Amino acid sequence: MHVQLLKLALGLYSVGLLHSVFTVLRKKQTLFKPAVVATLIGFACHATSIFARVYEQRTFPLSQRYESFSFFAALAVLAFLIVYWRYKITTLGIFAFPAIFVMTFLAVLQAYNAQDSVPELLRSRWIYIHTPLVILGYVAFFVAFSAAVLYLLQEHELKRKRVFNRLPSLEICDDLAYRSLAVGFPLMTLGILSGALWAQQVSVSWMNDPKILLAFMTWLIYLLLIHYRLIAGWRGKKAAYLAIVGFVGVLVTFSFSTGFHANFHP
Amino acid sequence: MELALIGVSHKTAPVEVRERLAFPSDKIRAALASLLERTHATEAMILSTCNRVEIVAHGPDAQLVQDFICEYHQISADDISKHVYSYKNADAIRHLFRVTASLDSMMLGEPQILGQVKEAYRLASEAGTIGSSLSPLLDRALAVAKRVRSETGISQSAVSISYAAVELARKIFGDLTGKTVMIIGASKMGELAAKHLKRNGVGSVLVTNRTFERAVEIAKIFEGAAIPFEHFTDHMEHADIVISSTGAPHFIITRPLAEQVIRNRRNKPVFFIDIAVPRDVDPSVNDIDNAFVYDIDDLQQVIDANMKERMKEAGRAEEIVDHEVQAFCTRMQSREVAPTIVLLRETLDKVRREEIERYRRALREMPIEQQQATLAVIDQVTQSLMNKILHHPITLMKEMSGDPDGAEFIETVRKIFNLKLQ
Repeated sequence: MHVQLLKLALGLYSVGLLHSVFTVLRKKQTLFKPAVVATLIGFACHATSIFARVYEQRTFPLSQRYESFSFFAALAVLAFLIVYWRYKITTLGIFAFPAIFVMTFLAVLQAYNAQDSVPELLRSRWIYIHTPLVILGYVAFFVAFSAAVLYLLQEHELKRKRVFNRLPSLEICDDLAYRSLAVGFPLMTLGILSGALWAQQVSVSWMNDPKILLAFMTWLIYLLLIHYRLIAGWRGKKAAYLAIVGFVGVLVTFSFSTGFHANFHP
Repeated sequence: MELALIGVSHKTAPVEVRERLAFPSDKIRAALASLLERTHATEAMILSTCNRVEIVAHGPDAQLVQDFICEYHQISADDISKHVYSYKNADAIRHLFRVTASLDSMMLGEPQILGQVKEAYRLASEAGTIGSSLSPLLDRALAVAKRVRSETGISQSAVSISYAAVELARKIFGDLTGKTVMIIGASKMGELAAKHLKRNGVGSVLVTNRTFERAVEIAKIFEGAAIPFEHFTDHMEHADIVISSTGAPHFIITRPLAEQVIRNRRNKPVFFIDIAVPRDVDPSVNDIDNAFVYDIDDLQQVIDANMKERMKEAGRAEEIVDHEVQAFCTRMQSREVAPTIVLLRETLDKVRREEIERYRRALREMPIEQQQATLAVIDQVTQSLMNKILHHPITLMKEMSGDPDGAEFIETVRKIFNLKLQ
């Protein structure tokens, strides 16, 4: 049942994908309201799907790749809905809808890969701490990335003195990028810490795992960004570039499945 | 429905003519009363603004209305005849819808006209010259104007320097609440831009000018602070928006100065509005991160782009108006079809009853039961005969009610059967 619900959610999220495609092609906002409504209903289906799984298994479903992807996607939808409700940035949808769709699509693909679960060795309570923290961090960084891209687009338009657009104001983009960074960074820090503790508990060597090194480097990029923002008063363009570099780091880290993440990713 | 609209506007008449034809608002009541008396109109409204004078009336002779205008303002007909336009029925409705939706305005999409039509409507209602014909028409005109405003971008983007400044500031700062604007130099345009910014939430205003007294004067208007010209650079870091319009022959905001200001602000953005000619702000300041420089040409370019956008939107607005005019005419016609059908039935039924009454006498010889039976048959036969004959015309009338030529057709039916609607 939970897979059917997830597929239904995927179908509803596809309206958002259509919105992005048509908006970019026609250079004119298309289907935005239907997309938001469909995403809202889709999210309800999605959440029901996750809770159905909780009910079925009596634990929070994070031990399979399918489950963590689904959870990731659901959080991304929630983040988008909250940001939209709070900031009313309609252009954010151009980034968020396809990302939501792809993540949910990946989750649906993984649904038929049942044995793909956490090895016995790693079964521990840490999974319920480490995974959500990291996933939440990723979602926050994605929001920061989208806001940074919007900032750069608007900044470019303003410098070129072309102002007929629906992009949000610079201050809103910068504010959103900063806030999501301020939320994402502590989560990611705690996520990495909990991962280290988990590894220590099951006494796995993780020092030479590329995925973990990459994660650490990405974390350093974000640390630099926070440092520059706070100490050097960086904002706007420079901060936006660094937020984009950081997110590229996130994507690279995310796509690596090595070490004891090999069977279990992200 | 016999609707007439007679008037002059900025498109047909120069201001010398328009001002002579204007009706001051305190005289409109009396003017409406004598208009009804003179022209046999049953309802009327006068719309008098600086760009147009128009009379919308139900049932008058257009020529009489024009005569009334001449008499009222004591102008000879020859003086105004070439400026006056006169529309009837559907054309009058279209014109009224277009005017109210600001499609006929000098500044396309300007919002004042809607309020002016509302005011004219209110005055006429108070004068008691609005009834069942004009009231739905004016309500619809206001609704169409609102629809055009909300469904098209006709009045969305800024088309004046000071509005463009506000629009741009919003693109940078989002909400302007609590922002600070600095005015350098005293010029009308700078003052106007500052006024619009202030109205849109800007918190404090700093004013500087070579003549300090003038700075104090302007600062007083905005409840701001005056700064001696020698020290303005020290205060610039507090300003989010800088409006410069001095008569200086060289740049007064140089690149090093702007860089220093941005540094002191810890990279918070600054919006430089340079409306001076020759320019006050070095254009290369625009290359500094978080500094945005718009000179008078840039602002004009923004306005031109917005104007073009308005023109494009006006096309869509015209479509809405076309659609609404047709819908309104249909509704008006069908409103008149129903009473015509009822009256047609009643008229024929009356003829039928009168004829039966005449034949009743001829049946007097018959026994009473037979008499009644015969009368019942006659009644039935004539009734069904009438229904059969009327069936096609009535169906046709109902169909024609949605047709552009419907009104004429219904009119013909009324003439043929000599039907007089109350």
